[in-house]
Amino acid sequence: MLNNLLPLGTRDEFGRRATTKQQLISVIQAHFKQRGLAAIATPLLENQAVFTPYQMGNYQYYRLLDPEGQTLVLRPDMTLPIARFLSATKVPLPQKFGYVGDIFRVSRRLSGSYNQMTQAGVELIGYPSIKAELECLTIANQLSSELIDDAVEIELGDAQFAQQVVASLTADTNRQAAIKQALFNKQIPDYAALIDSYRENPLFEFLQNWPRLFGQPETIFKQLRAAPLPASVRPALQRLQTVVAWMGKTMPEQAVSVDLSSQAPQKYYTGLTFRGYSQAGAGYLFSGGRYDQLLANFQAKNEPAVGMGLDVDLLTALALSPVTTTPTQLIYFEPEQWPQAEALLAKTPRAQLSLAPDLVAAQAEALQLGANLIDLTEGDYDD
Amino acid sequence: MTEARLKIALTKGRVEQQVLPLLEQAGIDCDLIRHKQRRLIFDSPTQPYEFILAKGPDVTTFLERGAADIGIVGSDILVEHRSTQYELLDLGVGRCQFILASTADFDPDAPQRKIIGTKYPLITKRYFDQLGQDVEIIKIEGSVELAPLTGLADAIVDITETGTTLRENHLQIYDYLQPVSTRLVVNRLALKQQQAAIYDLVDRLAAVVNATTPKEQIK
Repeated sequence: MLNNLLPLGTRDEFGRRATTKQQLISVIQAHFKQRGLAAIATPLLENQAVFTPYQMGNYQYYRLLDPEGQTLVLRPDMTLPIARFLSATKVPLPQKFGYVGDIFRVSRRLSGSYNQMTQAGVELIGYPSIKAELECLTIANQLSSELIDDAVEIELGDAQFAQQVVASLTADTNRQAAIKQALFNKQIPDYAALIDSYRENPLFEFLQNWPRLFGQPETIFKQLRAAPLPASVRPALQRLQTVVAWMGKTMPEQAVSVDLSSQAPQKYYTGLTFRGYSQAGAGYLFSGGRYDQLLANFQAKNEPAVGMGLDVDLLTALALSPVTTTPTQLIYFEPEQWPQAEALLAKTPRAQLSLAPDLVAAQAEALQLGANLIDLTEGDYDD
Repeated sequence: MTEARLKIALTKGRVEQQVLPLLEQAGIDCDLIRHKQRRLIFDSPTQPYEFILAKGPDVTTFLERGAADIGIVGSDILVEHRSTQYELLDLGVGRCQFILASTADFDPDAPQRKIIGTKYPLITKRYFDQLGQDVEIIKIEGSVELAPLTGLADAIVDITETGTTLRENHLQIYDYLQPVSTRLVVNRLALKQQQAAIYDLVDRLAAVVNATTPKEQIK
């Protein structure tokens, strides 16, 4: 065997990719520091038992044995090692952590996936208030704007919603699991067969529409109001509405959607969840949520917590790609409208001011840039 | 802003021939594919669709990697290749059935570790796991019927539509596994990125399928 071959699923990084990735990591770390997050680095190697209760997804571990025969793994996740660290030390809570590091997941062979991924993340541990979720969403919103040109949509969900609904249908836990699996994987033929026995149930119409319960918040909330849902889901829905309203007020330019038909990004999430994606990306740029019971895996006492992970490799790929689906916005205005133009510039992604002397010249400038022209001389611009 | 385009990976061959009429009834112009010559990518000049013709297992790979938004492929391949994408519609064509078959002297209850020939090792393993039986599986790429006839295997797990090939090779069916049909599968993130366009296509195809597909199953 040649001695200069890479193992399957790995790659060297050099040149522009390596430089861009390092620049992104520097921006992320500076942002974490500015938000008061303490840096934390855990070992690449952990005991397999750290991860065993929570494995999900279509991947396996890299395993090896230590000299005593104990099974070790290259960490497939960053949150569980931090929970392990907290349970094993006397670090006082609450704590805010920020990290950047590599995780390892063995994907399907020869599928084009890489098994070593760089992840950055935030863990806010010991915070029961929704302010912890809002802090994560703020960081996600600000980093998205700083790191990539493309507009990012933040999708909100809830880790308990689906379980609460299926529990109101049947006490049979196997059937609950089967309905959830077909729903989460949108295996519609199987799902339709599973819900067919609930034709007489008042929730049947909701069940039929459930796989499509994602999209604009107003549309989703309207559907939810019309459905005779169990009372157990009300706190989650109230929380979602609160967060959507807060985002609309605090970050009005941020696109927000709600998805109550998908599985939480990690098995250990217990409350509000969130993910972000752009039109150009082939995966989620970040995902996170509340996980109030994770420390119970390692100790008797639970601690409330919220965390978020960012896919640094995907962010790097987007930063390297010349393709962006968000067009430049060119703002044309009269000199006396400068404050109005400045305000619009501040809240519009990929916007710039047109310094053209008249509208015809501004239109030519927009054509040259491939930009949308926003003409403030026609009156108030309402986005 | 440029109109979003859906990339549709279509399994070439029999699936392609069975699905093209459905796509056309749903209002999609398939002339370019019908007159494809040796081309594999077809960008519709009038509609927001780009078609890719590929082998079934490759359709799942395109979908997993996000190189295609929609895949049209048999459920046998989706299961065998552990697809993790969204399966939104049973197109009701390409209906066939997984079976356990062998020669007339095969005894399914014989107290021995059976040797099973198949193109589908994962489906075969799951079937025998359900029966609580440990079997030796031999992966075969084509003409699976040869395996019990030549003594390579005790029996086979394969797909049959009418059973004609089995009968012509003097093989009989000992058990029926899951049915198979052609499915429309969507990349998880693409459904979020292009929700309206994808559901528009799915709903048009669903209307065609509901109006035209007989619901009877083999067996």
